Amino acid sequence: MRKFFGTSVVAISAAAMLALAGCGSGRDGDSGSGGEAAKGFAANSLIGVALPAKTSENWVLAGDLFTNGLKEAGFQADVQYAGASTTVADQQAQITAMTTKGAKVIVIGATDAAQLSTQVAAAHAAGVKVIAYDRLITNTPDLDYYVAFDNFKVGQLQGQALLDGMKAKKPNGPYNIELFSGSPDDNNAGVFFNGAMSVLKPEIDKGNVVVASGQKDVKQTAIQGWKAEGAQARMDQLLTSTYGSKELDGVLSPNDTLARAILTSVKGAGKPTPVVTGQDSEVESVKSIVAGEQYMTINKDTRNLVKETINMVKALQAGNAPQVNDTKSYNNGSKVVDTYLLPPVAVTKANAAEAYANDPKLAPLTK
Amino acid sequence: MSRLKDLQKNLFGGTTSNARQFGMIFTLVAIVVLFQILTDGLTLRSDNLIALFQQNSYILILAIGMLMVIVAGHIDLSVGSVAAFAGILVAKSMAEWDLPWPVAILFGLAIGAIIGAWQGFWVAYIGVPAFIVTLAGMLLFRGGNQFIGNANTIPVPEGFREIGSGFLPEFGPNTGYNNATLLLGLAAAVAVVWREIQARKTRRAMDADPAPMWISILRMAIMVGVIAFASLRFASGRVGTSFPISGIILLVLVIAYSFYTRNTAGGRHIYAVGGNSRAAELSGVKLKRVNFFVMMNMSVLAALAGMIFVARSAASGPQDGNGWELDAIAAVFIGGAAVSGGIGTISGSIVGGLVMAVLNNGLQLMGVGTDRVQIIKGLVLLLAVAIDVYNKSQGRFSVIGSLMRPFRREDSAPPASPPDAEREPAKAAVSG
Amino acid sequence: MSDVPILLEMRSITKEFPGVKALSDVNLVVRAGEIHAICGENGAGKSTLMKVLSGVYPYGSYDGQIVYQGSESKFSDIRASENAGIVIIHQELALIPGMSIAENIFLGNEPRKRGAIDWKAANRMALDLMARVGLQEDPDTLIKDIGVGKQQLVEIAKAFAKDVKLLILDEPTAALNEADSKHLLDLLRGFRSRGITSIMISHKLNEIEAIADQITILRDGRTVETLDVKADGVDEDRIVRGMVGRELSSRFPDHTPKIGDVFFEVRNWNVRHPISAERQVCKNESFVVRRGEIVGFAGLMGAGRTELAMSVFGRSYGVYESGTIIKDGKEIVLKSVADAIDNGLAYVSEDRKAIGLNLLDDIKSSTVAAKLSKISHRGVLSEVEEYQAAEAYRKELRTKAPTVDESVSKLSGGNQQKVVLAKWMFTDPDLLILDEPTRGIDVGAKYEIYGIIQRLADQGKGVIVISSELPELIGLCDRIYTVFEGAITGEIARADATPENLMKQMTSTKKMLTK
Repeated sequence: MRKFFGTSVVAISAAAMLALAGCGSGRDGDSGSGGEAAKGFAANSLIGVALPAKTSENWVLAGDLFTNGLKEAGFQADVQYAGASTTVADQQAQITAMTTKGAKVIVIGATDAAQLSTQVAAAHAAGVKVIAYDRLITNTPDLDYYVAFDNFKVGQLQGQALLDGMKAKKPNGPYNIELFSGSPDDNNAGVFFNGAMSVLKPEIDKGNVVVASGQKDVKQTAIQGWKAEGAQARMDQLLTSTYGSKELDGVLSPNDTLARAILTSVKGAGKPTPVVTGQDSEVESVKSIVAGEQYMTINKDTRNLVKETINMVKALQAGNAPQVNDTKSYNNGSKVVDTYLLPPVAVTKANAAEAYANDPKLAPLTK
Repeated sequence: MSRLKDLQKNLFGGTTSNARQFGMIFTLVAIVVLFQILTDGLTLRSDNLIALFQQNSYILILAIGMLMVIVAGHIDLSVGSVAAFAGILVAKSMAEWDLPWPVAILFGLAIGAIIGAWQGFWVAYIGVPAFIVTLAGMLLFRGGNQFIGNANTIPVPEGFREIGSGFLPEFGPNTGYNNATLLLGLAAAVAVVWREIQARKTRRAMDADPAPMWISILRMAIMVGVIAFASLRFASGRVGTSFPISGIILLVLVIAYSFYTRNTAGGRHIYAVGGNSRAAELSGVKLKRVNFFVMMNMSVLAALAGMIFVARSAASGPQDGNGWELDAIAAVFIGGAAVSGGIGTISGSIVGGLVMAVLNNGLQLMGVGTDRVQIIKGLVLLLAVAIDVYNKSQGRFSVIGSLMRPFRREDSAPPASPPDAEREPAKAAVSG
Repeated sequence: MSDVPILLEMRSITKEFPGVKALSDVNLVVRAGEIHAICGENGAGKSTLMKVLSGVYPYGSYDGQIVYQGSESKFSDIRASENAGIVIIHQELALIPGMSIAENIFLGNEPRKRGAIDWKAANRMALDLMARVGLQEDPDTLIKDIGVGKQQLVEIAKAFAKDVKLLILDEPTAALNEADSKHLLDLLRGFRSRGITSIMISHKLNEIEAIADQITILRDGRTVETLDVKADGVDEDRIVRGMVGRELSSRFPDHTPKIGDVFFEVRNWNVRHPISAERQVCKNESFVVRRGEIVGFAGLMGAGRTELAMSVFGRSYGVYESGTIIKDGKEIVLKSVADAIDNGLAYVSEDRKAIGLNLLDDIKSSTVAAKLSKISHRGVLSEVEEYQAAEAYRKELRTKAPTVDESVSKLSGGNQQKVVLAKWMFTDPDLLILDEPTRGIDVGAKYEIYGIIQRLADQGKGVIVISSELPELIGLCDRIYTVFEGAITGEIARADATPENLMKQMTSTKKMLTK
């Protein structure tokens, strides 16, 4: 009995091994690692696009534009958003799934710029070209390209608009302002802030502009996750702690969502509307600007950014090197990434109609 | 008894709880096959299997601890925050204090132990419900993570990344496969056979008839086949990839904790406390010690899971651990644990976690968005537990119940034989 | 009685569960205004029959007919049967401890005025209903603050609030002491005189004999017979014969005690209540146990017998104050249950389901639960030894279960009790404390359990039996201590023990009668 048992086991395992060995297909080599880019790929290949959670309308718009734009260009598009709470893990899984599915290019709008290096490396090793969209992916040598608006410029425009707006309301300073910056895990947040400070710092040093709360550091001003409620809560606190008797002249806000939250807070406290900057040209903010509440926003036309990204994909498909215009400034900690920068435009009530003339959604709002 | 009946009764072990387990394995296989078809074979491709394990090992590790917590009648909502807190401290310890990474791992486990002792103290010795203690812990350690990390992302060194993104090494002759993975598979196959032989010995020692020989062989053939298939798949990934290190950590933990919960007095005590804490206490079980242990153990495993995630992400970030508690709890309940405690197995929880993982992965491969994936996962959780509850309510018709009936031990007795006088108790359960 | 109109007739009721026929062809005829007892061993189908009647098992899930007040009734749920005036009071009371008496009485049936609950009316009506059941309490008193006897009365008052015509009581006196039981039985007699019909399920045959007009006996899911108590001259033995299908010559097995020397002694034991520290639950109690001796503890509910036993058993109840335990001539200190087990004590608790067993477990793991070290080798549990131990006890105690893999929740009360006994016998104790070992257990199983207790004593162990049933103590024990309000008030040898003198000492206010 025992012997029979033993031999059967051996026989069965051997049979199983043999049967299965047939379907194991040997291993792929370390295919398509960097360098030999100029080969191109099939025109109907899969292109993956991994975007952060749908927390701002900009990302939703970008997703739609990618879906349609890539289809028009003849590609298959797989556009994914991260989930609302488990953003990083979702994005990691999505990038891996896109690699598995054989995407030729993966465009990533990173939800956390520093936590994707393993997935980017795996994609790169599988011969996939990785393009960082809007947010630079850090700590990885495997990132191929970066497409973005010139974010330092965005900050500069915000800082300048803040000064101009306050001057228009009250010809002479000193002006009381407060500073807000974006999510600390977003690589761009610091860039915006530094850009704005490059304009504001000289005025602060002169004493012409005063940060009344004293909170000037990027860490003190950061709003985790770009969350509106975070900005509103911080503004509420600032108003209570600092602006009991003082007047608030201006607020540097890195984007429109936060700008509106700040305005809500100020309104709730019954204070006069300060000059508030913004970015992204969200519908509600454009309405607000036209109504004279929010002072300015930045038009980084998502259409253009997506268009440039798709142009890059097309170039890669044809086996050409994509066009870049900055090969020096963007060091992600492991390498200097080839970058294509688009110029942003500052929009106030004065030039809104002109700036959005070509935007089907925003143009009617300015009339 | 016909051969078919033998098969139904014995293929997946003898006891009644295995009906549930079998149902889960069946579901898992069905989902895998379904997605294998829907994704044109991507699901079972080497790179996807490897990614699947890497992506989910930390959740499955949490599920092990969570199973024990839930069996003891508690819950732990803080695991995600504890993981994030341990993760940021470990990342900082390497980035700023220059701890070598092996020391940093020990440091991380120690942090888990301290946090666990803190939570265990409140639960076991003060008697604050675990729900409250860990809800507080969830806030506390999330805040701690942001406070220490300043909400920044802190990268970790290469060596440390191995525990999250590393693979078994390449060595030996070029067989076209990863030799280490093949050896691992071989060892697993031998272990399965050895266990079967041991199980037969045990059955015989209990004066019970072991399952018929051909069933044993069939069962082993299936297991060995699955192992062979899996190890060949894992071994045939792109050069440089193979069975992931995090998977090895998971395997070791699953085996160790399964053994602990099933075959030691300490493990029994957890079930006793969850089943009826007063009865356990009156049987000499040290209630406080058991409660302290399960809570502490959970935090240690959470710290480990946090480190593995950080290693895989190559950096510790402020979003780490968000929502992990829910994934772990879902895995445990899909795996058949009872909400009121006392029931559940490690292997069931792992299968439950894999069901969620394969579902997630398959839907992603199909390009389904996270919004819809969440909806589907929510429904699966609800359905799995609802079926379980429904199944248990006796005397009512249940679709799944009737499907599963052939696999239940009680009903596998041939109906033709006269009712045994000794079967009285079945009646007592519904009357008297 | 045949001239009295029939209120209820259940005809050929058959109810099947998957694999089990719980009721087969059961008939029951209840006439208006009588007290009808239903007797049978555990598992005979009494509760199932009542669940069919009250709509718990809805029409269609059973075969047969229910004719109630002259027409066939098809109850779809409990509400339907309650609307028809059939109210069932379960053994486990369905009261909410944190709510007041009035709130409980009108739960789900609240008197309303313009949509809001009219508490004034509720309290007035509650007082009226409470008067009808002889309950003198403030209707605002919380349920948890009144005794179990009064809770039972609240349940009955609740039934009256629903305009009851047929009152079904499932083991109404199981948890009550003698005085409360007597009050309840008087109450039932009062109802009878007012024309209310009652069906009563009980294991206490003396009560049935005393109060019932008709008795229907079930066995194995079938009707055995219906007896007219007066006309047929029914006594307890007659009922037992019907229930077990044979004559039980004696309720207790023959036994010649082999009593040795004193080996266990508790001296000046003082314990305080775990929550209200001013209450002393054990007042300077002292007692001894000899080898081979069965020692009884008699007392009313709440006298402090369980508290004494549990506080001795590793301080598992109350706050220890002072007192010593001496075993085999040496003082032992038992600070935890584990200490107590290690020192050879075992405590079989009063409430099996609540604190005696883990109902999720199977027989096997329940049997070894209190001494896992006995089947462990270097920390690893031996499945084989576990199985062998459980199997040995299953055979020895004749536990009715197909295998030891069976879940204990599927066993009848008597068999569950055998598993608990096995669990404690497995620890190989020198002193076994059995708290109400036969509560809720039917006659046949009781007899077996008495036999087990006697065998354990004969092995040289000391056995303490706590029981509320005086005949049981007198029949089983060699010596009986009486307990009243936390103090031992007397010690009576078997030969001198009668229900009367025990009862006298159990209710004696004279303290410290110990010799």
